[in-house]
Amino acid sequence: MTRPLAPDVVRGLTEIVGAANVITDPDRLLVYESDGLSAYRVSPRAVVLPGTSDEVAAVVTLLHLEGIEIVPRGAGTGLSGGALPTPDGVVVGTARMNRIIEIDPENRLARVQPGVINARLTEATQPYGLFYAPDPSSQSTCTLGGNVAENSGGPHCLKYGVTSRYVTGLTVVLAGGRIVKLGGAGRDSAGGLDLVGLFVGSEGCFGIATEIEVRLLPIAEGVRTLLGIFETMEAAGHAVTEIMGSGLLPAAVEIIDRATIEAVEASIFAAGYPTDAGAALVVEFDGTEAGLDLGADRAEKCCFEAGAREVRRATSEAERAALWKGRKKAFGAMGRIAPDLLVQDATVPRTKLPEVLARIAEIGERYDLKIANVFHAGDGNLHPNILFDRKNAEELDRVERASTEIMHLCVDAGGTITGEHGVGIDKRGYMSLVHNETELEMLRSVRAVFDPDRLFNRGKVLPDPLAET
Amino acid sequence: MTATPESVVHPSSDAEVAEIMIDASREGVGIFPLSSGHRAHPVRGERPYLELSTTRLDGIVEYEPADLTLTARAGTSLATIDEALRAHGQWAPFDPPNVGERSIGGLAAVGDSGPLWMGYGELRNHVLGMTVVTGDGRMLSLGGRVVKNVAGYDLLKPMVGSRGSLAVVTSVCLRVYPEPSVDRVLLLRRDRLSDLVAAAHSVGTAPVMPVSSVLVDRTGVNESPALVIRLHGVEETVGADQASLEGHLGIVFEQAPSATALCTAVRDRGATSNVVLVASALPSALSEVIRALERLEPETIVADTYAARFRVGLSQADPEAVGNARASIERLGGTLRVARFPADGAEVGPTSEPSPAEKDLIIGIEKTFDPMGVLWPARSRR
Ligand SMILES: Cc1cc2nc3c(=O)[nH]c(=O)nc-3n(C[C@H](O)[C@H](O)[C@H](O)COP(=O)(O)OP(=O)(O)OC[C@H]3O[C@@H](n4cnc5c(N)ncnc54)[C@H](O)[C@@H]3O)c2cc1C
Repeated sequence: MTRPLAPDVVRGLTEIVGAANVITDPDRLLVYESDGLSAYRVSPRAVVLPGTSDEVAAVVTLLHLEGIEIVPRGAGTGLSGGALPTPDGVVVGTARMNRIIEIDPENRLARVQPGVINARLTEATQPYGLFYAPDPSSQSTCTLGGNVAENSGGPHCLKYGVTSRYVTGLTVVLAGGRIVKLGGAGRDSAGGLDLVGLFVGSEGCFGIATEIEVRLLPIAEGVRTLLGIFETMEAAGHAVTEIMGSGLLPAAVEIIDRATIEAVEASIFAAGYPTDAGAALVVEFDGTEAGLDLGADRAEKCCFEAGAREVRRATSEAERAALWKGRKKAFGAMGRIAPDLLVQDATVPRTKLPEVLARIAEIGERYDLKIANVFHAGDGNLHPNILFDRKNAEELDRVERASTEIMHLCVDAGGTITGEHGVGIDKRGYMSLVHNETELEMLRSVRAVFDPDRLFNRGKVLPDPLAET
Repeated sequence: MTATPESVVHPSSDAEVAEIMIDASREGVGIFPLSSGHRAHPVRGERPYLELSTTRLDGIVEYEPADLTLTARAGTSLATIDEALRAHGQWAPFDPPNVGERSIGGLAAVGDSGPLWMGYGELRNHVLGMTVVTGDGRMLSLGGRVVKNVAGYDLLKPMVGSRGSLAVVTSVCLRVYPEPSVDRVLLLRRDRLSDLVAAAHSVGTAPVMPVSSVLVDRTGVNESPALVIRLHGVEETVGADQASLEGHLGIVFEQAPSATALCTAVRDRGATSNVVLVASALPSALSEVIRALERLEPETIVADTYAARFRVGLSQADPEAVGNARASIERLGGTLRVARFPADGAEVGPTSEPSPAEKDLIIGIEKTFDPMGVLWPARSRR
């Protein structure tokens, strides 16, 4: 059971952010009980919604003095339980800090508050001919603060790189309520250590980012999108290897498998993918118009050589949206065929994809589970998603055992336990597959430099909760 | 007080590096990791220390062209790596000065990307993994050999650019790229560097992004200042990109006859001057930074205009003038630091520091990597 906060703590928080922004009513706390990892639910003691860096600092100071843990939260779309409340903790949400502070087209930078939604930044920079490159599939809802904390990727990160490549400066609130500015685009980080890069991906365990400076890019002149239809996943995997090995630099290379195609086509998101296909491959090129057809032609050839049944090419924005639809709506569609979905995340060297995918299929059969794959194939970043019903305890147990096998499989193939969703609560137990005790201890010590009292997101990321408490 | 090393040790394995670090911790001897054997920075301090050379940690460990990743031991030269990559039509898009002579471990420790970062991203975004030995001899494997990896806090980021202050790098895994089929270099010349700033700004806001954009005070003997733009791609895209840039700038570029020779000259210009300063600011401050730096009467000025990162070569430094330049650049939101100290150990002047709060965090991280303070010679320059 969650302990309610002492009245004087609630009063103190109310004085800082106003009564409307301190939530203690159990009904209103319900939506904060979990993030995108729906299998876990914990009710927070309260949710506080500050509006400025100073308010965040005052809230953190007060909670620190009271020894109360803090769980930072953006939009709650995280898939590893990063924003899952801790039983003794208070959630500090950034929903009100949603202002784009400045767009600086001359230096191609933007400064934003952490609660700004990813897609909104790109919309706002469009009139300047600019965009913000990292594009998680959740971009219409997730926040830049969450992206920073998870070092999020997205389909186009194949060409453009992940969040850390674009974050040039941060204002962060650390334990004790210290407001610290890290880096800045004009400053030379080689003079010190790259603290910005270290903070990115810290999963809310180092402090709260309250202001974010990011680099913007010019919008590409043109785009070409291909959809390759394959009889088998293996053939699609070979096409990926061919395309990536041919010297082409596609912007995105994404695969969806038969189970996902079936789910999409059976849903209101039906995208016109043939349901008897083994896999569909989306390949996109962007850049200078003059080179796009050359790239697309060569990729198309690679697809046919790998045995594609059909390759469709979009020539208009509407056609492009149609080709992408099955990929973009995959998660939404799967939500409709099973009560719960465990979105797995792991990376393997790209050349290992065909072999690893075959083994994952075999694991699914052995545990009698439906596994649907939709993933960033160009990066070797897999999402084998397991469909299940959380209320069926026996099935949940099979889900966990299958997940564990998949993690071992990916690590043994030279990969890792998470490519973009983070460790959070979900992958904590797998950290020892990729780090020995010396390395884990190192991670604990580095966290302690930022947060010596383990105030932020206690129990997340690092295994052995005992060592954390 | 400038110190000299007692001797140089040449370990040939990670375990030997660890042994050296453990011994050094026990005996209270400092360690200064060195890779390429280039002139070391003067070490300030009176305590004894050893230089640790990584030259025997040599060789490519793993190269899987289809994965576009390559792992090499720290002492492997970039020339060796380049040769292996080119045989498969690939390359590593980093162009800091004298890159071929550098070792991969040294490059990663220093964290210099060179102007190509405009098109390809910084070195720190392409170091996928590292093995390191901490100041007290712990062997750590950071990151891995996959392109995306967020399993735990990203300790690679502070390692890249730490210049030996945290740990000895023993191997590095890099993300590599397919070679572009066309590498075109465009030039715009004017009498004075400041006359090129407007063009540099236009390039920085053009719809087409070149892979690098550099202002240089001179590209050869008797040559005038130039803006050097590099385009990569296939014949069709490079031609279209050039036309688009020329339209945007309202000028016609001169095409460099030998792209490689010119790029190498620009890349290395002034990097071995007696004193080398590195200034950084926002592109909007290019003119003001040039003015502040020209007051130092430098031998050479080269600026990566995408980040307004300047490399300035001086025959000698006047500490007061350097202090003034620093103050001007810091007022513009930038920084000035020394990349190469004079051979005679003379003072260069005050340079930019991290903020006190950042410094606290830096010291904290240094203590976690190097609790005994063995790597003090690598830190003594700050
Ligand atoms: C349908 C769907 C598709 C997705 N696709 C992708 C994808 O393609 N690529 C990808 O990488 N991820 C993807 N995700 C995962 C998720 O959207 C990302 O991790 C996202 O960055 C989380 O942002 P958020 O605002 O929802 O953060 P939350 O879930 O609220 O929080 C995530 C973590 O960040 C911390 N945090 C939040 N704000 C701050 C802050 N200001 N300062 C410090 N810490 C903070 C939290 O404590 C938590 O640990 C997807 C999720 C869904 C549901």
